[in-house]
Amino acid sequence: MANGDQFRELIEAYALGALDPQERGSVEAHLAAGCADCAKAVDEARWLVSQLAFLAPDAKPSDMLRGRLLQTVRAEAHAAESAKPAAVIPFWMWGALAALLLFTIYTSWETIQVRKTIDATNEQAKQEIAKRHELAEELTIAQRAAIILTDPRSVKIPMPAGSKDMPKLDAMWHAEMGIVVTGQNVPMPAGNRTLQLWLIPKTPGAKPMPSMMVRPDADGKFMLLVANPPDNMESTKALAITEEPAGGSQAPTTRPIWVGATS
Amino acid sequence: MFLALLANLGIGPAPVEVSLDATLVQSLVRRDVNAFEQLYDRHSRHVYALVLRILQQAATAEEVVQDVFLQLWRNAAAYDAERGPFVPWLLTLARNRALDHLRLKSERQRRREDQTDELPPVAAAPEYERELDERRRVERIRVLMGGLLPRQKRAIELAYFEGLSHSEIAAKLSEPLGTVKSWIRNGILRLKEGLQTVS
Repeated sequence: MANGDQFRELIEAYALGALDPQERGSVEAHLAAGCADCAKAVDEARWLVSQLAFLAPDAKPSDMLRGRLLQTVRAEAHAAESAKPAAVIPFWMWGALAALLLFTIYTSWETIQVRKTIDATNEQAKQEIAKRHELAEELTIAQRAAIILTDPRSVKIPMPAGSKDMPKLDAMWHAEMGIVVTGQNVPMPAGNRTLQLWLIPKTPGAKPMPSMMVRPDADGKFMLLVANPPDNMESTKALAITEEPAGGSQAPTTRPIWVGATS
Repeated sequence: MFLALLANLGIGPAPVEVSLDATLVQSLVRRDVNAFEQLYDRHSRHVYALVLRILQQAATAEEVVQDVFLQLWRNAAAYDAERGPFVPWLLTLARNRALDHLRLKSERQRRREDQTDELPPVAAAPEYERELDERRRVERIRVLMGGLLPRQKRAIELAYFEGLSHSEIAAKLSEPLGTVKSWIRNGILRLKEGLQTVS
C-alpha cells in the first residue's frame, strides 16, 4: 500500500470532485487498496463538502412542484398496492397444507392398520368361538360319559386284549345314555391309523356294525362315547376294537385287539 | 425506541439511529406516502436552493428537484442510516443530479438515458456535527466562508456549484494551478476548524 500522506492533500478536493482525472484515479486506487485513515478522512471531507450547500441563497420551490410530486408518489403507491397478488398463499399456509397432507396420509395408513387389526381380532374371535363350541361339545361328552360311568344302571363290559402286551379296556353300556369305552397305556397305532369300535350282533351271520373311532393321547389314554347305541343291548353279542386305516372301515380289516362279551 | 431510551439514560449511543429522518426514510421503503410528504416538507427548500444555485433557472431546478425526490421515493432502501445522517446524503444526491444536468446541457447532449442513476455514498458525520443545530450551523458556515478571500471563496464555489476541476478553475480565474489547489484545500480545512472550534 502506498504511503497515505501523499494522498492526504488530495482528500478535500477529491470529496469536492475538483481533482483532474489522473489525480482522482490515483486516490481511488489508494482507497481501493484499503487505507482506513484516508477512507475516514474522505468520509469527513464529504460531510464538510455537503455543508457547502448551505451557501446557496434561500429559495422555495413552487406549490405546484409539491402537488405534482405527491400526485406521482400516490399513483405509484396505489399501483404498487394494486400489483400485489390478491390470492398469494402465505408461506405458513403452505406449511399448514403440507401438514394436512401428511396428517391425511398418516390417518389413512392408520385406518388401514386399524382395519387389519379389526380383521385379525374378528378372525381370532371366530377361532375362540369355535374353540368354545368344541370345548362345550367336549364338556357335554364328558358330562354324558360321567353319567354313563357312574350311573348304577350302566352295565360294565370288560374288554380283555388278545395279546398279553396290551392293556385291558373297560366299557360301560347305559341303555339310554350310550356306551363309553375307556383305556389307559394304550399304544399309539402306527402312522395315522385309528382304533375302531365294532358292535357284533347276536344274529348268526350278521356282519359287525361299524361304530366310533378313536386315537389315544400322548399318555396312552382315550375315552370313546357312542351316543346312539342299539336300543336293546340283548341284540349285541359283543364289543370289539380293531386297528383300521384313517377314516375307519365299513368292515373289519384286521383281527380284533380287544373283545368284550355283553353277557 | 429502545436505543433512544438508552441514550436518554446516558448508557447508550447517541440517538442518531432513531432520527426522525431515518425513521421517515424507513417508512418510504414501505411505500408510506405520508412519510414522503414529511420528508419533502422538511428538506425541499434546501434541496431546491442548492439546485437553483447550480442551474440558475427555476423551471429546470424544479425538474431536477422532482427527479431527486422521486429517486428518493423509488430507492429509499439505498440510504443506510447507520452509516451517516440523511441530509448530507440528500444534498449530495441533489448536487450530483444538478451537475449532471448542467454538464449534459453544456455539452448539448441532454439525453435522459445518459444520466447516471448512481446514488452517492452516505458520509459519516464528524463528532462536531452535533454541536450545533442546523440553523446555527448554516449561519456559522456562511460566516466562515464569508471570511475567505473573495477569489478563494469563488474557487470553492466554482468547484462545488459548477463542478469544475482544479485545472478548469485555474483557467477560469487565470490563477496558477497550485494556488487554486491551496485555496480550495485550505478553505475546506478552515471550514472544518471553524466548526470544530464551536465545541
